[in-house]
Amino acid sequence: MEQLIEQLKTQIIEALNFEDMTPADIDTDAPLFGEGLGLDSIDALELIMLMDREYGIKLADPKAGKAIFQSVRTMAEYIQANRTK
Amino acid sequence: MRVSHEIEITPAAVVLNGQPIATNEQGEKMLVELYRRYVKDYPKFFKMDTLSRLGFIAAELLLQDQPVAAVILANRSASIKNDTDYLATITGENYYPSPALFVYTLPNIVTGEIAIRHHIQGETSCYILEKPEQLEPIILSQINRQSPILAGWCECSGPNTFNAKLQIIWNN
Amino acid sequence: MIYCIGHSIISPLGEGSQANVEAVKAGRSGLKIHTDRFESVEPFCASLFDTPQEFVPLCIRSVEMAKGETDLADPSTIFILSTTKGDQLDLFTPAQSIARHFGNPNPPIVVSNACTSGVCAQITALRLLDAGLYKSAVVIGCDIQTKFIISGFQAFKALSPEPCLPFSPDRKGLNLGEATATIIYTSEVRKGWRLEAGSIHNDANHISAPSRTGEGAYRCLTDVTEGIDPAEIDLLGVHGTATLYNDDMERTAIERAGLQNVPMSVLKPFFGHTMGAAGVVETIIGMELIQRGIFIKMLSGFGGVNAAIRLRCE
Repeated sequence: MEQLIEQLKTQIIEALNFEDMTPADIDTDAPLFGEGLGLDSIDALELIMLMDREYGIKLADPKAGKAIFQSVRTMAEYIQANRTK
Repeated sequence: MRVSHEIEITPAAVVLNGQPIATNEQGEKMLVELYRRYVKDYPKFFKMDTLSRLGFIAAELLLQDQPVAAVILANRSASIKNDTDYLATITGENYYPSPALFVYTLPNIVTGEIAIRHHIQGETSCYILEKPEQLEPIILSQINRQSPILAGWCECSGPNTFNAKLQIIWNN
Repeated sequence: MIYCIGHSIISPLGEGSQANVEAVKAGRSGLKIHTDRFESVEPFCASLFDTPQEFVPLCIRSVEMAKGETDLADPSTIFILSTTKGDQLDLFTPAQSIARHFGNPNPPIVVSNACTSGVCAQITALRLLDAGLYKSAVVIGCDIQTKFIISGFQAFKALSPEPCLPFSPDRKGLNLGEATATIIYTSEVRKGWRLEAGSIHNDANHISAPSRTGEGAYRCLTDVTEGIDPAEIDLLGVHGTATLYNDDMERTAIERAGLQNVPMSVLKPFFGHTMGAAGVVETIIGMELIQRGIFIKMLSGFGGVNAAIRLRCE
């Protein structure tokens, strides 16, 4: 799990173009949207694409993403339970 | 029509109001260098495509605190550099269209980025023209107010092939 | 003030403005569910030509239909093309090909202001003609669908799998469409429809998410209705893409501008969202639907841009 979390942080930094940021800068339990990383709606769509590309998880409804994208930890938990690759 | 301030950016040089600004880098990297030196606190910059970074940096250096009523930009190649980058995400096995790239596949997004940064709720317009001179009559027919506008050429056809010449233009 | 002297629409609903207006009146829609176009990985609903069309010939055909007696080769005529993706991502060359086809000596102007382009192109015509720089303007709106556009809107989760439902609580997103349309304007005074005012404003809020307060659209509406009693307005042609947030934004802007009781038209269920063509197509249909009166046409788009125009026919 910890390994997946680290890998996911690296992928998020890459997918969302966070220059100058390292996995250590992302708090595993901090909210991704609003406070915390302050992601917006386009970032949410990029995360949906990341889940598909890297883990073979298709999220059709962007609203369903809300619970999954609460934090890096909730994302990793969802990936572990649902990944197809 | 009166021009009070002007900036020119090419992949090799930046000239603000006639004064060259020294840079260590060239091309796309130079835009990042300018961001790190003069802006620093706007991480959204890193999400922008090259065309938007170019217009954003040009506006940043040029406007300082000068409010403007409108942003009117033109170029020849529309958003071709970013269009090409987006195309790579939908080609062959690699079919994972990137929403963050797709949103920049419109040449007017750079005017939106400038409007957001400088809180400009006036007009933003984007024209695709043969050459910069063609923009002049368009601007002349547009300005009819007291506040100046930000206008000019903002062209980018590749990561290291771009040029911008933006001006603050007054109607008196 | 500029005067409309001719127009045309070519869409999957028909050839010519009349055929398109009749299709709309009869409730016919160009929207269909497609499973085998543009290598789409999932079915999508759109209004597409049965036979794929080429950009430049399509525009030329539309101008031919609209031009009537106008001398398009005259240097006092300017060609203005409204498009977002042009011909294979090239926007200027096709405009040049169209203008040259008609022997026009001026370099054309391409307006690319996202989904508002078709209204912005008419505003550009209004300004250039009002400034006396040209005597007539050929305003062409055109966009053709491609894998590029469909995949992008799919990635944005903005497409409805079914025919769109603007302003419905059940709306699921937009449908894309293909069309081209032309309006010829002149500065010579004449009877019929005239374009009186236009306004463009940015929300300065977000490059893709519509403003919660509808600030830009609200300012456009107040600009073009200044000094006019809402009761005098015969039609408000809204954008009505049927996306969750843009419809909300428009409703907010319309209510803030006090125009909520004006009769409204929304044409996306007939044509889909025809992007660069939308402003021109929807202006023509609006004029034809009411024949006379005051008509306001509004649009909004990516980049936070909004636009509106006021047309009148006595």
